[in-house]
Amino acid sequence: MNGAQHILDAFHRHNISTVFGYPGGCIMPLYDALVDDVGVEHVLCRHEQACALAADGYARASGKLGVCIATSGPGATNLITGVANAHRDSIPMLVITGQVPSGLIGTDAFQETDVLGMTLGIVKHSYLVDDADSLPAIMEEAMELAQSGRPGPVWIDIPKDLLLADVSDTPFPRSEPREVSSPDLTEALTMLRAARKPILYSGGGISLAHAEDRFRTFAESASLPAVVTLKGIGNPGKHNPYNLGMLGMHGSRAANKAVDECDLLLVIGARLDDRATGKLDGFAPNAKMIHIDADAAEINKLRPTELAIRGDLNGILEALTNALQDKPLDIGDWQKQCRTWYTTGGFHAADNEEPLAPITGPAFVRQLSRIAPDNTVIACDVGQHQMWVAQHYDFDHPRHHLTSGGLGTMGYGLPAAIGAQFADRKSTVINVTGDGSFMMNAQELATIRRYNLPVKLIVMDNQCLGMVRQQQELFYGNRESQINLDDNPDFVAMARAFDIPALHINRTDQIRRGIETILAYNGPMLLHVAISREDNVWPIVKPGASNREMIDETRRTNKKEHVA
Amino acid sequence: MKPQSQPSTPNYKISCRMSQEAAALERLCQVIRIRGFRIATMAVESAGEHLDITLTLEGTRPIAMLQSQLEKLHTVAEVALGQVSGVRVQTA
Repeated sequence: MNGAQHILDAFHRHNISTVFGYPGGCIMPLYDALVDDVGVEHVLCRHEQACALAADGYARASGKLGVCIATSGPGATNLITGVANAHRDSIPMLVITGQVPSGLIGTDAFQETDVLGMTLGIVKHSYLVDDADSLPAIMEEAMELAQSGRPGPVWIDIPKDLLLADVSDTPFPRSEPREVSSPDLTEALTMLRAARKPILYSGGGISLAHAEDRFRTFAESASLPAVVTLKGIGNPGKHNPYNLGMLGMHGSRAANKAVDECDLLLVIGARLDDRATGKLDGFAPNAKMIHIDADAAEINKLRPTELAIRGDLNGILEALTNALQDKPLDIGDWQKQCRTWYTTGGFHAADNEEPLAPITGPAFVRQLSRIAPDNTVIACDVGQHQMWVAQHYDFDHPRHHLTSGGLGTMGYGLPAAIGAQFADRKSTVINVTGDGSFMMNAQELATIRRYNLPVKLIVMDNQCLGMVRQQQELFYGNRESQINLDDNPDFVAMARAFDIPALHINRTDQIRRGIETILAYNGPMLLHVAISREDNVWPIVKPGASNREMIDETRRTNKKEHVA
Repeated sequence: MKPQSQPSTPNYKISCRMSQEAAALERLCQVIRIRGFRIATMAVESAGEHLDITLTLEGTRPIAMLQSQLEKLHTVAEVALGQVSGVRVQTA
C-alpha cells in the first residue's frame, strides 16, 4: 500500500465517505488511487477555495469531519481562505495537499510554496510529512485533533514521492477515549440562585460540542432569558418564549437591553467576540460572569470572569438541568421584563402589504421563514442579507444556519450549501446570498449542475455592496466609495447558462409565488430578488461603540441613541 | 484588547518545552507575535525529541493570555513563567 492508498484506507476506517477536492500535479498519486476506490465520493468543485468552503458547510450541517484536497502551490494557496474560515469558526476539517517531491523542497520548484509556513496561523495544527512511515500516525492524530476539544482545521502537506512510497503496515497508535471529568457546579448554582437578572448567553460552542439537545433542555427547563451570538442562532429553539434573539452590532434591541441590565451572564460556548459585545467597557456593566467553554484560552481573554468552568458541555448542561429542576430559579419579574422588551424591541419587521411595493430584505426573509419546510438549511453569504437572515429567520436548530461568523467570508454561501446538500441529499438547502457575494464563487453553479444538487439559490440584488454602502452612509458622511455593482450580469441568464432555471421578482406580491416556485421545483433553481439599493440593516451599533449606542431606522442620523 | 499605556513595557521570562517538528519555532514565534509580544532574547536547546526554549518577552498584554495560547499548541508540552527580568511585574 502506498501513501495515497493509505490515506483512502484511513478515510474508510473513519467512515469518511465524502471529500471535496481539485486535482493537480503533486496530488496526482492520490487521484490515481481514487480511480480504484468506490467507498469515497470525491466532489470536484471548480475552485479550491470552494472545496474548502464546501467541506466547511458539510461539517457544519452534518457534525462530521469535513475533508478537502488540493495540489501544491496555487491549489494550496486557493484553499487558504476556506481553511481560515473554518479556523475562525472552529470547524472540524482535514486538509490534504500534495507538495513537490521531498528532494525539490526549497529549490523553487514548479508549483512549490511553503504551505506549512504560510498556513501556521490558520490551522489548529499542521504537518509536513517527511517520512512515509509516519503517515499512518499523522493521519490518525490529525483526524482526532480536528474533532476533539475545540475543533478546527488540521492540514497535512505531503510530498508527491511520499504519496507514491510504500507505507509499512505497522500498527499506529490509537488514542484512548479520554475520561470526562465532572466539574464542581456548586458555585455556579449559588451564583445563579443569587442573581435577580440572569441572562443565558450562548454561541457556536453548543453545536461544536454536539450539545444541542442538552442545551435546549437546559434553556427550556431553567426558563432563563436567552441571547445568542450569530453562531448560536437556533440554540434555544424557535418556540422558547425566553429567547430574545441575537445580540450585538445588528442584534435585537431586546437582547442588547437585557444584557445591559443583567446582573449575571451565564456564557456557554461563546468567546465574547467584538461584534457581539460592542465596546467591552460598556458591555454588561452590572453583571458577574460565569464562563463555560471547552477552550481554556478563551477564559479571561477579553473580560475577567468571576467563575470559569472548562469541560464537556454535555455533562455540565445535564448537571445544571438536574440541579435546577429540583428547585427552579425565582426570576419571574425579570422574565416578565425581558418578555416586554422582546415585544417592543425584538425583530418584528412588519410585512409590507402593499402588493406593488418594492421588496425589502426583512419582509422577504420573514416570508421565506414561514414558507420553507422545517429543517431547511440556510447557507448565507456575508453582508446585509446575512444579517436579515440572522434577524428575521426563525431557526429551530443551530445546524440549520450556516454562516461565516468569525472571518466574514464573502463567497461562503454557495459552496457551503453544496457541502450541506452532500451531508443530506434529501434536505432542503437554500443559499441566501447577495449580488456581491454571489459573484465571488459563482463558478460553483457548475458543481450544482454536475451533481444535480437540488440547492435553491436566492440572490438578493441591490446592485451594490450594501453593508459597505450602509456604513459609508452612516459613518463616513455618505461618501460612497467603490460599492457600485450596477453593471452586474443578468443573473437569470447566467443561471440558465449553467442549465439552472431561474426566476426574477421585484414586487411584494411576487414573494410568495417566487419562493414556492423554487421550493417546488425538482432540482436546483435560482430566484433573483431585486431589492432597493437604499435599504439598511437596522438597528446598528457603530463598530467600536457600546451596544447601548444603537442607531435605529427611525433616526437615521449619526446621532447616538440610547436604548429606551 | 487594547494595549495599556505604561511608562515602560513589561517584560517576562518564559520557558517552553515543545516537540521537535518541522515548524516548531515558527509556530511558537508566530503566536508570540500575533498575541502582542516582542521577543527580546531567545535561547533554544535540543533535548532528544524536545526543544527547550527560553525567551524574554516584552509586551503590555496579560502574559497569562499568551501562556494559555501557547499551551493550546499541539506540540507544546509545557509553558512556565519564570522570574521577571524587567522593571515591572504584570499578572493577568
